[in-house]
Amino acid sequence: MESALRIGHLYPGQMNLYGDRGNVLTLLRRLKWRGLDVEVVPIEVGAEVDWDRISLVFMGGGEDSHQVLIADDFRARADQLLKRFENGLPMLAICGAYQLLGKEYVTTNQTILPGVGYFDVRTEPGAERKIGDVVCQVEGLDLSLATLVGFENHGGVTYLGPDATPLARVSTGSGNNGVDGSEGVVRNHVVGTYLHGSLLPKNPHLADRLISWALRYAEIQDAFMADLNDEWEYRAHQAMLSRQSERHR
Amino acid sequence: MHSTENEEGEPAIRYLRLTIAILFGRFVGWLSRLGGHGGSSLPGKLALRWHPHLLQELRQRAVHGTVLVTGTNGKTTTTAMARSILTRHAWSVINNHNGANLIAGLATAFMGQGRILGRADLALLEVDEATMPRASAELKPRMIVVTNVFRDQLDRYGELSTTLRFIQRAVEDMAEDGQLVLNADDPQVAYLGRDRPHVVYFGMEVDGNVGSDPGRTAYDASDSTRCPRCGHPLEYFTRFYAHLGHYRCGACGHERPQPTIRVAQDKAGTITLMGDFGWVPIDMPIPGLYNLYNLAAAAALTLTLGVHVDLVPAAIVSMVPAFGRMESIVAENGTVLRLALVKNPVGFNQVLDTMVQSPEGNHALVVINDRYADGRDVSWLWDVNFESELLQQKIGRWWVSGIRAWDMAVRLKYAGIEPSKIVVLASAKAALDAALAESRDCTLYVMPTYTALLEVRDLLTRRGLVKHFREG
Repeated sequence: MESALRIGHLYPGQMNLYGDRGNVLTLLRRLKWRGLDVEVVPIEVGAEVDWDRISLVFMGGGEDSHQVLIADDFRARADQLLKRFENGLPMLAICGAYQLLGKEYVTTNQTILPGVGYFDVRTEPGAERKIGDVVCQVEGLDLSLATLVGFENHGGVTYLGPDATPLARVSTGSGNNGVDGSEGVVRNHVVGTYLHGSLLPKNPHLADRLISWALRYAEIQDAFMADLNDEWEYRAHQAMLSRQSERHR
Repeated sequence: MHSTENEEGEPAIRYLRLTIAILFGRFVGWLSRLGGHGGSSLPGKLALRWHPHLLQELRQRAVHGTVLVTGTNGKTTTTAMARSILTRHAWSVINNHNGANLIAGLATAFMGQGRILGRADLALLEVDEATMPRASAELKPRMIVVTNVFRDQLDRYGELSTTLRFIQRAVEDMAEDGQLVLNADDPQVAYLGRDRPHVVYFGMEVDGNVGSDPGRTAYDASDSTRCPRCGHPLEYFTRFYAHLGHYRCGACGHERPQPTIRVAQDKAGTITLMGDFGWVPIDMPIPGLYNLYNLAAAAALTLTLGVHVDLVPAAIVSMVPAFGRMESIVAENGTVLRLALVKNPVGFNQVLDTMVQSPEGNHALVVINDRYADGRDVSWLWDVNFESELLQQKIGRWWVSGIRAWDMAVRLKYAGIEPSKIVVLASAKAALDAALAESRDCTLYVMPTYTALLEVRDLLTRRGLVKHFREG
């Protein structure tokens, strides 16, 4: 029997560097706890996909060498994806995936990988790798809680063009480029970000936003959006916030 | 003669400078231990300030040269096993058995306890991957042993390929006739032996169930499953765990080199060491499939140095597990504890696989810190396979503690483990007390990250259960 909701996980074999599968596990569990029949569809290079049966897309980050391996395949799928983005298909794109959704990505050895250009951003090699905790205030979305916490680890720095809306503003960490204070990008229901951690387990409010978008896109009733007991998740979230405020004192 | 003499003066002055550096470092180390601190790296750190090329001078203390053991997992246990074998071979060994494996730790090991410039037969050192280039340049090792390369501490090194580059540089820096001892079952590690004249490969052969859950493919925490020569995905005939196994590239024909030293385990669990000498049975004192690789590495290391194979079985069976590597400790109330350091997904998966092998149910205590030595990023917990069915059946109770206790608790919750089976206690002491009190009838697996291991050890020492490791 076909599952009610299918999550497309792009390149779990290549783009899986920093525990990003935790985001998919979180979406999966939170849907199951709400009684929904859900399935993860792993999509590797060359795999055939019926995008009409996918209601939520996830893609993580990978090493430069891995990113090169999947870049062509991803660009070949761009038409299918981009037209659905306009119809509200939600996607979470972390790190390398976020970079490829931009206009252009220059790797450390100066290889220029053209992106699919959905985000008006451009990524180039940074002077030094940006590694550490991130706390940021969400701006590009109206969430039930305005903070996001995570861990960044990226060599590339991303600069936003005039048409890009930042996801958040960092209070700890570098974010997109360490210069303008922005972190991530959001356009329609597509979220690009540098935050690992994994991101969604400690930020269930963002996980639930993606889920409610997916339910709407799949034309499933919002009644499934029952509240869950997120005490532990917010304890983990809070632990990061209080640690950062201690450091700033 | 050579240039350092011109730069740093006459031999007598150099000798004096070296002696002062060592004495000074040792004195401070003694003070530090007196004050109840460790001091496993401090003497070396201070002596290096006095004499930056201390290691170049000291390497001559080892009559038969230096062996460096590196890789993500298994450095400490491989070195401990090799040391045990070499002791039976009646060799004296300079060794950083406390696990201090950065430059200062290596210097401390050489500065030793005995006569200021006394000699030993061999220097046997475990070395952090990022320290390998400098260690190799300064110590000019006669042999480099590489156990495996997995994902670990990416917050420090960035990406996996960086780790491989460190080791590659160290290999290039060793003497022309330098010996490599490599894991044939790790494609990237084995590939370090290409074009090298002196390489010994070790590998594993296992008959029957190897413990891992079948069907964890796309979501496995494996890294380099591509051919190191042409980049095509590798075919595996047998895959033990992560990317370790018997492989071949369908595109370019590159394949696993034939190992000369092999460890085999049959269906009954009997372990044999095999090579051109024939075979010897081995009685392993510590569980875990990954320890068979450590055995193979230690055997390859020592046999290549000319040790007779007959010394190996007795040395292994009498070996005491290295610090926090499946150490077995019995508590006051009779509870058996297994203390196993966890620091990356592959290592953690191996400990979990070992934990569910025993027929009776067990309890687990996980302590996750995120200090520098632990890795600042805890994302890797999401690459550990807590979803395993066996784990859900066999582990009756979980205690969770450490700086990132809530991250760990959330991880277990999303693995589908009933929250009522999980107790979160911020204080490691409270968690250990509670776990010990409620684990009388089973084994308690204690799984801490590095700094948490030091904490747990300290708590156990205060209970009088273990000797302080740095005294050893």
